[in-house]
Amino acid sequence: MAKVLVIADIKQGVLKGSTTELLSKAKAIGAETAVVAIGSNIESLIPDLVNAGSDTQYIADDSGLELFSAGPYASCVVDAAKQFGANLIWFGFSESGKAVAPRVAAQLDAACATEITDVMLEGDQVEVTRPAIANKVMQRVKVNTEQLVAVVRAGAFEATEGITGTENVVKLSPPAPDLKAVIKELLSDASGEIDLADADIVISVGRGAKDQAGVDLVRELANDLDAGFGSSRAMVDGGFMAHNKQVGQTGKIVAPSLYMAIGISGAIQHLAGMSGSQVILAVNKDTEAPIFNVADYGIVGDLFEVVPVLREEIKKIRG
Amino acid sequence: MKILTTIKKVVDVELNIHVENGAIVEEGLQYVLNAWDENAVEASVQFKENNNAETTLVSIGGGEDNTKIIRRGFAMGIENGIQIDDPVLAEADSSVTAKVLQKVFEAGNYDLVISGKQAQDTDSGQTGIILAEYLGLPCVSNVIAIEVIDDQHIQVSRLGDAGTEIVELELPAVVTVSDSINEPRLPQMRGLMMAKKKKIDVMDLAALGTSHDEVGGATPTSEVVEFMKSKTRKAGQKYEGDAAEITAQVVDLLANEAKVL
Ligand SMILES: Cc1cc2nc3c(=O)[nH]c(=O)nc-3n(C[C@H](O)[C@H](O)[C@H](O)COP(=O)(O)OP(=O)(O)OC[C@H]3O[C@@H](n4cnc5c(N)ncnc54)[C@H](O)[C@@H]3O)c2cc1C
Ligand SMILES: Nc1ncnc2c1ncn2[C@@H]1O[C@H](COP(=O)(O)O)[C@@H](O)[C@H]1O
Repeated sequence: MAKVLVIADIKQGVLKGSTTELLSKAKAIGAETAVVAIGSNIESLIPDLVNAGSDTQYIADDSGLELFSAGPYASCVVDAAKQFGANLIWFGFSESGKAVAPRVAAQLDAACATEITDVMLEGDQVEVTRPAIANKVMQRVKVNTEQLVAVVRAGAFEATEGITGTENVVKLSPPAPDLKAVIKELLSDASGEIDLADADIVISVGRGAKDQAGVDLVRELANDLDAGFGSSRAMVDGGFMAHNKQVGQTGKIVAPSLYMAIGISGAIQHLAGMSGSQVILAVNKDTEAPIFNVADYGIVGDLFEVVPVLREEIKKIRG
Repeated sequence: MKILTTIKKVVDVELNIHVENGAIVEEGLQYVLNAWDENAVEASVQFKENNNAETTLVSIGGGEDNTKIIRRGFAMGIENGIQIDDPVLAEADSSVTAKVLQKVFEAGNYDLVISGKQAQDTDSGQTGIILAEYLGLPCVSNVIAIEVIDDQHIQVSRLGDAGTEIVELELPAVVTVSDSINEPRLPQMRGLMMAKKKKIDVMDLAALGTSHDEVGGATPTSEVVEFMKSKTRKAGQKYEGDAAEITAQVVDLLANEAKVL
């Protein structure tokens, strides 16, 4: 029987939905499930970890784990994987997951696959699918090792309604700190804004918005809708938006039910981050903009005219 | 300080890519220097200019296109070039690639490896990190800034989940860089001319002092068995005309047809 170890996705002390999605998939393929949670002061999350669908909870709770550090985090995952006898080790999509997964794989002599969209089991044979070449193709990858370490693409797996697990807590001993890569400081960009990964609606602004006033105009629309507020790289490079707001191949991968691309051309690297959205609305003044090739609804027009009307009309509907 | 920069030849992602019978159709493809490796080259050349570092690039691969990307690295300012050209490495996965890079590193006594955070063909983002594990070296990925502290230490900024992480690294170390770290320079004409004359140190695995078996080439941890077309979205309806009118119409559709508002 397959044994899946899921790495809990904890941000600012909160367990993220991707953890439930991964555990749901694990149960759906008939696997035994465990979760490993790493951080400081996280014991209070145990009920959430159980409710997310895990049957064993490995907890690495130590003040030394407050700030992310890939080396110690990898040690915790390897420790849990060995104790559990995991053959599938899954990270949700995050920068820390992308940094830790290859380390864990190297330490376990296991295969590593990032951005996976599916897992197929046949007897002992494991295969995964994943996009490559900026999403232009998909690959089917055969795993030749007994263990697979994978980073799951955002939105790939769905949470099962009513899933739950059983409590069986195993405390891990704190890992040694990485003395050769010392984290000095975290310049937090916790802005109080909605995390793009959690948002049901994401609205992104591009170079078409030109300047701060344009960005603020689109931000208002996002605020009206309680939407996540994202950006193309052009506006991050221009200093108008924080790095963690970038949607795309080098930024966040999002798959909301509605994505609005406002003044974004639709470069392949941007599409790679949002083309999994359920419904896409594009606003662009250039009727030939490539974003219209992926948009379900396209408004050809000047965003400075369109966005105020969008706000008004949406207010009418939502009351 | 001695810097090793890893560079890879990748298919040009701006071109159309076709899949037939489980494989990518080679015809019409063009190859370029991986975008993130361009950032790695730029970062290395800045080390040369600002800190007198000695720069060497390494690329595993063969053929004319591979020579071209190495020459591009030279033209941007890298001093030395190593090419590992061995047909048995054609299907190498990240782990095999990292083992070969490990051999290159060990032969050269480097202080710092700078890799791209990801290759545009695999979109995998593993090789540099796995290399660091094999070498037992500290590593920071997704780096957006590097500063030299002294001969033995650098400070890097990394884009993490909660913000920008400032990390002090003891050398030797491995970093993988994001495209946000710099704006790669365009090679100048003079640089391109000089780059043509530079010697590339071409080696096969035997010359590197290793073998296909030793780098795990015969037993890859995973293999791509098939390429498939990715699901493409269909273009929907475009609305043109009076901004207020079409916007109201689309909002109505979002609410009542798509039911996402
Ligand atoms: C290795 C690599 C990684 C990358 N990663 C990412 C990534 O993760 N995310 C990302 O977004 N990009 C990424 N890029 C950059 C990407 O290639 C594009 O350069 C970028 O997405 C362009 O941003 P943009 O669409 O805002 O700007 P532009 O391409 O300049 O487009 C602006 C658009 O606004 C429209 N416009 C102008 N004025 C108005 C107006 N008044 N009203 C309405 N529309 C208007 C224009 O018609 C145009 O279509 C990456 C590039 C590379 C090489
Ligand atoms: N064949 C290769 N030769 C040299 N460097 C490579 C090769 N393959 C991968 N790399 C390096 O590893 C990085 C990440 O590759 P990947 O893990 O495939 O995404 C690339 O940006 C390169 O710097």
